[in-house]
Amino acid sequence: MSESLLGQLQTYAAQSNSKVSMPRKGETFIEVDQDHIKDFISHLVNDFRILHLATITGLDLGENIGIIYHLSQDKDTIYVRSIVPKAKSTAVSIVEVIPGAILYEMEIHDLFGVTFTGNPWINQKLLLPDNWPADLPPPLLKTSKPAEIRKRLQLEVERK
Amino acid sequence: MSDEAKLREESAGLMEYSVENLVPFGPIHPALKEPEYFKLILEGEKIVQVIPRIGYVHRGLEKAAESRPWVQNMYMFERTCGICSFVHSLCYGQAVEGLTIYEVPRRAKYIRLIISELERIHSHLLWVGLMGHWAGFETLFMWVWNDREVILDLVEAISGNRVHKSMNAFCGVRRDMPENMEDRIVERMKFITDRAHYYRDIIDSEETMLARTENVGNKINQETAQKLCAVGPMARYVGLRQDVRLNDPYAAYDEVPFDIVTRTEGDVRALLRLRLDELVVSANMISYAVKHLPEGPIRVKIAPIIPAGEHSSHCEAPRGEIFYYVKSTGGRTPDRVKSRQPTMANIPTALELLKGQTLADVPMVLTAIDPCFGCMDRMSFLDTESQKQWTWSGEQLRQYGIKHYFPERFDANRSKFKEAH
Repeated sequence: MSESLLGQLQTYAAQSNSKVSMPRKGETFIEVDQDHIKDFISHLVNDFRILHLATITGLDLGENIGIIYHLSQDKDTIYVRSIVPKAKSTAVSIVEVIPGAILYEMEIHDLFGVTFTGNPWINQKLLLPDNWPADLPPPLLKTSKPAEIRKRLQLEVERK
Repeated sequence: MSDEAKLREESAGLMEYSVENLVPFGPIHPALKEPEYFKLILEGEKIVQVIPRIGYVHRGLEKAAESRPWVQNMYMFERTCGICSFVHSLCYGQAVEGLTIYEVPRRAKYIRLIISELERIHSHLLWVGLMGHWAGFETLFMWVWNDREVILDLVEAISGNRVHKSMNAFCGVRRDMPENMEDRIVERMKFITDRAHYYRDIIDSEETMLARTENVGNKINQETAQKLCAVGPMARYVGLRQDVRLNDPYAAYDEVPFDIVTRTEGDVRALLRLRLDELVVSANMISYAVKHLPEGPIRVKIAPIIPAGEHSSHCEAPRGEIFYYVKSTGGRTPDRVKSRQPTMANIPTALELLKGQTLADVPMVLTAIDPCFGCMDRMSFLDTESQKQWTWSGEQLRQYGIKHYFPERFDANRSKFKEAH
């Protein structure tokens, strides 16, 4: 990505009240709130032509769940970060902008319990077993212990 | 709710269909070497919609990584895949190295490149063999897999192992190249180049291959491939110049001359041609790298504690871009490791390729993306407490090892080890 494009991107991000930081060369962190995430990413895709979404990462941040969209172009990686409270873990889907994001959103739904509104397949399981109990917390939260999950799934198998 | 209504809801109005048209493909199916489930919705003979269900071999590596030391994770992530194992440890290693202040020695970068490219050749050969198998051309399968042994022998000579090389370390590699290997490697690379040209002739002239590959697969354009986030050969076969080795060089890719291969036909045969041409490119790169291998150290020792921060890295695995993200809070274990494998990124594209195809072509098209479902899934909960099955934990295995090799050190009272069965 050229320097001027990166400058434009930073100006745009600053205008829309987003925090921008560049800890290392080639890495840009942009914080965007959930209300603007879809607009922001569609702006990146349509106007800046940053087309490749590497993946979407979920993070357990204690009170909140962090969602990072890793967009990249050549040597530059752009981390678009957004935060969803654990109490009401609903996020906006970007499938309309980037159709390739569909499985990544399903993965975060399975492993962190975040529901993406607008994703047509969000109610299907992607990774977790079919007999995953509804009341068991999602496995990648820091409070979930593998031993407990194993014990609970064992009970589910025995119940059958 | 009736089944039909439930299905309608699952498809969320994507299309109207009746239950009769649904053909389940997998999870256990002769065309899939690993368990995965695809819901195929047919209209007559043609596929109109595919819904995937993955996760049958999900092993929980990301969760497991949070409780293991940084260096141990490197060898655990290497076990994500049994084909492209090295590139996983390389990509994780690069993500972690980015958080430290150390530089990777130049010789180590070259060795990393050589192993990566050997791995690409063996992965592509494996895939070409499988394509021959699904096309009903078993001879090709046997020839190609025989040639693959040449590469595996080289890998064994360099690293000591055939599949899980365990060559990587933070800021370097663990083993140096053996002496006097140069001529042998160059000679084998020439052999691979000759064979690749021979296979190119076969797939362009042999009737079985032509019938099963020409114009098979729904043709997609560049824009669709970009929107579906296709990576690796799946992006290059529609003409996109997308290759991490070229766009964001890592290891020694900025010093070794090469050019990537792209094609524009957009069918399964284009993928075959592309991967066979990539064999030649990789073979040339290896020959160049062993001839220009710089002298110097192969490794820098680093502290076991990684400074706080977050970093990501991507590499070009044989199947496409592989991506690792690590977050450190300055402790002995990572706070979060995210790994994304190329198959996961290529599944939306594969679903698009299947549309409009006949059921008989599903194995060809699905194999064409070179799927590696074991990579894509990273977690399953092993049933270790069931009465019918039993497995040993790592600690039990360790205690068994101590008892077997060093009986004088084994303390039955201290250990939890019980002689099972």
